Amino acid sequence: MGKVIVVTSGKGGVGKTTSTANLGTALALLGKTVVLVDADVGLRNLDIVLGLESRIVYTSMDVIDKQCELSKALVRDRRVDGLTLLAASQKNNKDDIQPAQMKAICDKLRSTHDFVLVDSPAGIERGFSNASAGADEAIVVTTPDVSAIRDADRIIGLLQHARIEPINLVLNRFSPELVGNGSMIDQEDVIDILNIDLLGIVPEDTGVITSTNRGIPLVYEEGSEGGQAYMRIARRITGQQIPIPAFDQKGLFTSIMNWFTRKG
Amino acid sequence: MSISIRQLFGRKPKSSSIAKQRLKLVITQDRFDVDDRVVTRLHHELIEVLAKYFEFSMDSVQISLKPEGNSYVLVADFPYKKAHDVSMNR
Ligand SMILES: Nc1ncnc2c1ncn2[C@@H]1O[C@H](COP(=O)(O)OP(=O)(O)OP(=O)(O)O)[C@@H](O)[C@H]1O
Ligand SMILES: [Mg+2]
Repeated sequence: MGKVIVVTSGKGGVGKTTSTANLGTALALLGKTVVLVDADVGLRNLDIVLGLESRIVYTSMDVIDKQCELSKALVRDRRVDGLTLLAASQKNNKDDIQPAQMKAICDKLRSTHDFVLVDSPAGIERGFSNASAGADEAIVVTTPDVSAIRDADRIIGLLQHARIEPINLVLNRFSPELVGNGSMIDQEDVIDILNIDLLGIVPEDTGVITSTNRGIPLVYEEGSEGGQAYMRIARRITGQQIPIPAFDQKGLFTSIMNWFTRKG
Repeated sequence: MSISIRQLFGRKPKSSSIAKQRLKLVITQDRFDVDDRVVTRLHHELIEVLAKYFEFSMDSVQISLKPEGNSYVLVADFPYKKAHDVSMNR
């Protein structure tokens, strides 16, 4: 039985889709079977970030409308074994799908995959309810700015209310230099404010833009800081105990903060 | 955590520590579902009451809710010039 993990945030544009694509690819590179579900109906992007946009034939809407079998709607990523995508319909909107229908899809996928990662749209409305309906666990993505952190707290409250746990944090677009000169809130403060476990830190990396341009996730790029960060996070998701590198005031890797694996 | 050290040396607080303080406050309000209007109304009513007893400038009054553990502390700051002579009104 696999795990269903929703990748979500309150504020838009903080890196949910980038994180879903990279973590999914990283987990597959680690030998896991993974299906990525785009829950951003009407504004799908996971296909293009993954470079699979030209191969989408069916979407989750077709599965719900019984136009096609679930297994037939999954697009296989040919670059790595065990990675598939279930695209969202671009012609529909979020209200055309019910949370129960999304849950049914996730439950089916869970029985045939190690991980089901659901890329949630931003916000606290129907799109979020749909994306989180079938989730066992959640990854909340935030950037280190006040609006994103505040909105992350709202989402965490809703996830807790829905009894989804654990809820782990990915801090994206982190800049050691800005933390060093006191213009960016550091990871300890973010955890202190949000009071959830930190799964990992992804640095600000211009490579994200070029990798998105090409449709090749950053984890394929050797020597990419962002890619390595996502690889470490994927290892933690599989239960490996990999320390999170911490940054000191000068922006150098110096101390090591221990990350303890989640219970179970 | 580094705030206290900076304050010790009398330096201007970094914007990251200001961000943290503001976030803590606003998130506590979000979590406890505090209506902004409650604070605004309280602000006006407190000024009315305070004006009966003290002489002060209206815009110097600051009222805020500060999170402390699982609850709030109400902090009212009003630098006053002098107290009115209350016995006159009797
Ligand atoms: N670590 C990073 N470094 C630099 N740029 C980044 C990083 N992460 C994300 N970005 C950029 O931020 C933008 C938004 O990313 P992304 O689409 O993944 O966010 P999202 O949370 O899925 O957005 P939405 O809420 O619209 O679905 C993209 O242009 C992406 O290239
Ligand atoms: Mg997205």
